[in-house]
Amino acid sequence: MDSRLYFVLGDLAANIVAGLVAGWLCALVISTGWNMFLAMLLAMAIGMLVGLVLFFPFGIFFGAMEIMLPIMFSGMLAGMVVGMYAAMMPVSGSLGALYGAVCGLVGIVTVWVANVGLRGVRGMERGN
Amino acid sequence: MDMRTQAKWDKAAPNFDFMAGRGAENRWRPFKQDLFSHMDGNILFLALGTGLDIDAFPPGKTITAIDISPKMLAQAKPRIAAYKGTIQAQVMDVHDLEFADASFDQVFTSCTFCSVPDPVGGLQSLRRVLKPGGGLYMFEHTGSRYYPFKIMMNLMTRLTARFGPDMDRPTVDNVKAAGYRVLEVNNLFLDVVKTIKAVKPA
Repeated sequence: MDSRLYFVLGDLAANIVAGLVAGWLCALVISTGWNMFLAMLLAMAIGMLVGLVLFFPFGIFFGAMEIMLPIMFSGMLAGMVVGMYAAMMPVSGSLGALYGAVCGLVGIVTVWVANVGLRGVRGMERGN
Repeated sequence: MDMRTQAKWDKAAPNFDFMAGRGAENRWRPFKQDLFSHMDGNILFLALGTGLDIDAFPPGKTITAIDISPKMLAQAKPRIAAYKGTIQAQVMDVHDLEFADASFDQVFTSCTFCSVPDPVGGLQSLRRVLKPGGGLYMFEHTGSRYYPFKIMMNLMTRLTARFGPDMDRPTVDNVKAAGYRVLEVNNLFLDVVKTIKAVKPA
C-alpha cells in the first residue's frame, strides 16, 4: 500500500463508497426468494459496474490502477455479500449500504495485504 | 504512420492532463524519478505525451523524445521549455522510427506499451535503434496473472481500448519476445504497475 496519508485516505474513501453504493443498489434490485446463485452473479456484476463508474471521479484525484482494481474488487465483494443476503431475507437499502461499506473496507484491506505479497523486485521470473 | 492510433491520442489530448495529471501522476512520481535517475548518455524517450513525465526527469540531460500525437506534443511545449536540459520532441511512430541503427545508449518508456498497437514489433523497433548493451527502462502497467484482477483487467480493456490504453498487456513477456534480456522486474502495485529494466544483448 502507499503509505502517504493522502492516498491511504483516498483508497479508504473510494472503497467504502464503492461498497456502500454497490450494497445499496443490490439491496434495492434483488428480492427475497430469488435463486441465490443467480442473485450472487447479478449482484457481483452490479458491484463491478459500480466500481468501474466510480473509478473515474476517484481516479482523477487518487490514482489509476491503485484505485480501479480495489474498487472493482470491493464493489464485487459488496454485491456478492448483499446480493446473497437479499435473496435469503429482506434487506433494506440502508442495511445493504452498511454491509456494502464494511465489504469495501474488507476489500481494500485485502488488496493491501495482497500487494504486500506481490510487490517488490522479481528478478527475471516469468511475468506479465 | 498509424493514423488510427494517432487520431485516438489526438482526441484524448485535451482531457489527458485532467484525467491523468493529478492522482496517477502524483502517485507514480517517486517511482518514475527513481527510474529516470538512471538516464545517461544519448537517450530516447518514447511517448512523451503532454510532458507529464518531464518533472520526473533529472536535470541537465539531452533527450530525444517522440510521440505519435502532434496534439499531445503541442500541449507538452511549456513543459519542454521549462526543463533544465534539452528535449528534442518530434512526432514519430514507434513502428517506423526514423533514427539510424544503434543511435541511442538508453531507451525510456512510461505507460506506453499499453497503447502501442503491435507491442513486440514496437519493442523490436526500439531494439534496432538501441546500441548493443544499451538499456531499456520501462514504467508500465500490465495485466495481472492473479484472479480476480485478471478478469477485471480483461473486461476493462474491452472498454478502454476504444479511447485509450489496453489494461491486460503481458509486457514483460513482450520484452523477452522482442529479444531483450530482462534484468529486473519491480512490482510497484500488485503485479500490475511495475518497472522493467532490460538490455539489448551485445
